This record gives sequence, structure tokens and C-alpha cells, in this order.
Amino acid sequence: MVMNEIIAAARKEDRTSLTELESKQILKEVGINTTEIELARSREEAVAHSQELGFPVVLKIVSPDILHKTDVGGVKLSLNNKEDVGNAYDEIISAIKKHQPSAKIQGVSVQPMARPATEVIIGMSKDPQFGPVLMFGLGGILVEVLKDISFRIVPLTMRDANEMIREIKGYPILEGYRGQEPANIAVLEQMLLKVSEFVDSKPEIKELDINPIFAYRDSALAIDARVILEP
Amino acid sequence: MKDIVGQLDRAFNPRSVAVVGDKMEMGYMWLRSLANFQGRVYSVQIDEKELQGIAALGVKNYSSLLDIPDEVDYVIVAVPRAVAPKIVQHCIQKQVGGVMLFTSGFAESNTNEGIRLQEKITEMAREANLNLIGPNCVGIFNPKIGLRHTTDQYWGDGGNVGFISQSGTHATFFTLVGEVNGIRISKSVSYGNAAVLDATDYLEYLGEDKDTNIIGMYIEGVENGRRFFSCLREIARRKPVLIWKGGGTDEGTRATASHTASLAGPPLLWDALIKQCGAIKVDNLDEMVDTIQALLYAKPTTGNRVGLAAMTGGHSVVITDAFARAGFEVPLLTERSYREFASFFNTIGSSYQNPLDMSSNLPHLDRIIRCLDILNDDEMIDVIVLDLPVVFLTRISWHISGFFDDLIDAIAEYKERSGKPLLAILISAHAESEAIEARKKLVARGIPSFPSFERGANALAKVVAYYKSTALQ
Repeated sequence: MVMNEIIAAARKEDRTSLTELESKQILKEVGINTTEIELARSREEAVAHSQELGFPVVLKIVSPDILHKTDVGGVKLSLNNKEDVGNAYDEIISAIKKHQPSAKIQGVSVQPMARPATEVIIGMSKDPQFGPVLMFGLGGILVEVLKDISFRIVPLTMRDANEMIREIKGYPILEGYRGQEPANIAVLEQMLLKVSEFVDSKPEIKELDINPIFAYRDSALAIDARVILEP
Repeated sequence: MKDIVGQLDRAFNPRSVAVVGDKMEMGYMWLRSLANFQGRVYSVQIDEKELQGIAALGVKNYSSLLDIPDEVDYVIVAVPRAVAPKIVQHCIQKQVGGVMLFTSGFAESNTNEGIRLQEKITEMAREANLNLIGPNCVGIFNPKIGLRHTTDQYWGDGGNVGFISQSGTHATFFTLVGEVNGIRISKSVSYGNAAVLDATDYLEYLGEDKDTNIIGMYIEGVENGRRFFSCLREIARRKPVLIWKGGGTDEGTRATASHTASLAGPPLLWDALIKQCGAIKVDNLDEMVDTIQALLYAKPTTGNRVGLAAMTGGHSVVITDAFARAGFEVPLLTERSYREFASFFNTIGSSYQNPLDMSSNLPHLDRIIRCLDILNDDEMIDVIVLDLPVVFLTRISWHISGFFDDLIDAIAEYKERSGKPLLAILISAHAESEAIEARKKLVARGIPSFPSFERGANALAKVVAYYKSTALQ
């Protein structure tokens, strides 16, 4: 299993924070739909991956030492051709060397640029009394400013998943407010249930943050993810 | 799961009780509360000054638990905290069914001595598998056998409502105010610091208890949240469980630490937990009492449409606001109902939209009841709410002798043939004692009543949400 190998590798390096690449590989294994993601260790590999995946693509730095990739110039969006991808690769590497020279660089991830949609988030943290707790909310500014989020204690039932999505104030937005594309609620429910099952069966996961998830009419896609292991 | 029922049954249904350390200074409150206990009562006291007072109560005193020549099922301990470990040791040797420590000054005092003593008695009790309730609590109330913690609690007939409270005050007040509201206790327990037995143990016990159909809980914190969660989830499927979480605000969580040394947990998580388990959230004693009263006496419904029968114009407006704010629909009635109203209803100074303002139809009992019958037959209506303004109805009784009582009789007769839930609201204004008397009469006839429109609406909203949620299971 990829998951166990990833966790073992992180343990060996004595780190609890998994990279976006590792986190997404784990999510994919438990059946959560994530963007395709390939690791490039050179400019040439980045170009090759982008051709396989199809343009436009996104390049992001992969380093266990970098938490906020955008802040250090580690993210390049909307790359439409081979040349842009190659240049973006070089720019990311030199930006990291400049801003955070001590960071251990595993490479640069290449991912297809996902079509924008309503953003939601799913998170898991642990309460000292109640253990793993799932959080659901709208993404972006709404979750930060309005604290429009709902909680459930793991394990979730189908009904819990159903209710925790519907009880956020922003639920009408997910239904497709004023002609916006509606989100597929059943798909989001399934995603919550899969996350619940996953964290319930893996006590060594300390925190999980899938943010954002793009919620489309007939699917949902994890765009960024972060897993933190128990020490 | 351990056999909590077998384990706690002796303590909850004792045939012999010993009180250790009761004294004059406390008015011998514990021995007096056992005046009607349907079993054997013993006292343990070594203070010479107290012996005469104890003898005067007709209770046999011993200088040690170990000297009592009988099995002891339940022990009430009111000694100074430093003596507690010795008494706990005696309870273990005596193999009692359970011991309750009224004694306080343990972990909740946040003193080294208090924490040390609590750790000590906890360790002793755990090792010996002793059922230790508390410390810092008032223990068990089982009215059927006259086991009480205060003499103003009733005894004799028990009921079907169980109550589990981390606070002694709330346990006592709930039993007292509950009685006025037609709520009688099967068994209740106040458990304070929960050093050994925790909320989950008592919940499991009452969950299995055949005499208990509804469970109310006042909780400040739980020891093992996971266990509480799965236990509540399982029991709330079978019996309504109402949860009043003390320390439900970030500020309030500070107070729980000094009251019962509880780790309160984040309020948002408790809200989620209650919902997830299908329990009912209440925020204060009034909501606890109102909601249980509605569960006990209002016919179950998942309907959302109320027919509002007010007795004055002013009430007809605000009763509508209160129920609409609580999320209810106040629909217009069918043409058939309106035709019937037109045949007898005096509309000068009154009206019959929905809400009804029936003032001009007073003091004709038959017309008031006819209004209720019309609402009962109207397919647009799920629940009927009747306004009984105590001051006006009492005033009518000044010149029509027995009017208010006759009205209550007529309502009770109506209720017998009605298929829909009925709630009465008694706004007391200044006539609070008259209102309480009338409410007692109503609930004795099986009619739930509430002291304000808002409280009635809120209680109805909670039970309708509960029945909807169980219907989904």
C-alpha cells in the first residue's frame, strides 16, 4: 500500500507533516477524488508530465519544510505550453533557493489546472475528550470570516453527513444560488463518509485538511490537501 | 460493556441505608430525608454531642459502619473530607452496594489536599470495585422507596422520568419543579465530581431501567467522551434523552472547573454530539421541564401547523408571534370551519381567522369548547394551543362560581375525544399562585401547560423536531 510506505518514509525522516503530493496519494488510495499529480525532479520531467496531463497545468513546490507554498514563490498557475512550464520550473526552484534556502526540495509537482467552482473544505482534528472530529464548511473567505462551519464526531453516519452539509448557513450557495453551478451534495456526503472511515481506521493521522475542494455539478475534486501524523 | 445494571441496582434500590456523620448543625438533613424510607436506616456518628439528637429521631446509631449488624446497601457520607478515606475503607470492608459522598472540598477546591484526597478515595474504590457516587453531590433520589435528599421531595408514587445531574441543586430543583409540572421521577442521581462513576455509567443504568422512559441530564463534562458518545447514541434511539450542558459558553467552562473539576469541552462539539446522537438539547431548567412535560403529555406529532385559540385580542397577536418565531405555521382554516364559526361565534370584539380571539364568547363554556372542536376537525391544523389568561378567568369565577374549574373540566373532556396534541398557556401576570394551582389541575388531567407563549412554543418546537428526527431513523 502506498499509504503505509508514505507514512513509513515520513517516520524515517522523523517528520509528521506530509507534503501535498504525499497527502493526495493517500487520499486517492482511500477513494477521494483529487487532481492528478506527478512529481518532477527536473525541468525536462516537468515538461514531459505537463504534456501527459494536458494543458493548462499548475506547478507547485514539493517540500516538507514549506507550509505556505504561495508565500515563497512556490506556485505557478495557468501554464499553457511547454516553454511556460519549463520556465516556471526554473523560477520556482530559484525562488525557493532565495526565500528559503534551507528547505529540502523533493521536486515540483505538476497538476492539471482545475476548472474553478464553489469551494468547500473538509477538515479533521482531534479533541482530547471526543477524539477525531470532522469539520465541513464553504471554502475561502466565508469559512474564515463567518466561521460558517459544522462539526461531527467520527464515525459519521450517512445521516450525519447529510445534516452537516445542510446545516451550514451557506447551503443555498451549494444548491446553486442565482444560476451558479450547483454542487453535487451526494458526492460531498460520500467524501465526508470516506474521510470519516479513513481517519477512524488510521489513528496515527493527527490532522487532515482538504482545502479547497472544488464542488462541481457531478463531481468534487480535492485541489489541495495536508495530512499531519501523530508524533 | 460491564454489567452496570447489576452493579448499580443495589445502590439505586437499597433495602438498608446508613448515614455517616449527620449532625444538628445541618438539621440532621440526611436522617430526616429518610423519614419515610421503606427499609432500614442506621446512623454512624462518633460525636457524643450528636447522639441525643439522633436518638430523638428514632434512628439507631453505631460508632462505625463495621459495627452495624446488617447488610448495608447504600451509604450517605457527610463527614469532613479528611475522614473520607477511612469511611471509604469501611464501605469496602462492609461490602456495601454503593456509597455517596456529600462531602466536598476535593478536586473542585483545586487545593493540593483536596486533589490528593480525591485521588486516594478514587484509587481505593476502583481497586475494590466499590460504587462510589460523587464526591461533592447529593446522590440518589428514588421516590418509590422514600430515598430522598431533602424532606420537601415527594415519596410514594414514582414516575417514569430519570434524571442524571452533575449538580445537586439542579437535581433537587428538577424534582421539585418537575412535580408541579406533572413530571415524576423514576430514579435520579446527582454525581458531583464523578471520581469513579461518571455520567455514562448512570446513563447506561437508566437506559436499561424499565421504570425509566425519558432521561434528562445536566452535564458539566465527561471523563471519556468516546464512551459517552457511543452510549448516548445507542440509548437515545430507544428513549428520549435531554441534555442540558453546563458550561455551554467559553466563559461558563471556567465555572465548571471550580464547581465539579470538569473538563467542559468545546460548546460547538457538544451541540454536534447531541444532534448526532438524536438527543434533545436544552439550555436551562425551564426548557428541561417544559420539553419533558410536552413529551409526557402532548400527543406525538411531526406536524408544523398550529391552531391558536386566544382569549383576548392582545394575546391573539403575541401568541402568533411566539409560535411563528419558533418556526410554526399559523395557517388559515378551511371554508367549512369558517362556515361553522359564522353560525355561532360572536365577532363583536372577537375574530376567528387563526389565531382566534374568543373573548366575546366568554363566559360560554360550550362556545369555547366548540372552537376547540372546530380546530380539532380542521385538516389544516396539527396542534392546538389554548390561551388561558389566569387573571381574567379568575375574575369570571368571582361572579360565576367555579367557572375556572368548570372550564378545566370541559377542556379535559374535550381532550379525551380529541386526536390532536393540545397545549395550554397560562399567562399569570401578577396571579402566580393561582396560575400554579390551575396548571397543577390541568396536568393532573393530562393537559400540558406553560407559563408563557414563548416557553410553550419552544417546547413544542423541540418535541416536534425530536419526533421528526426519530421518524427518519
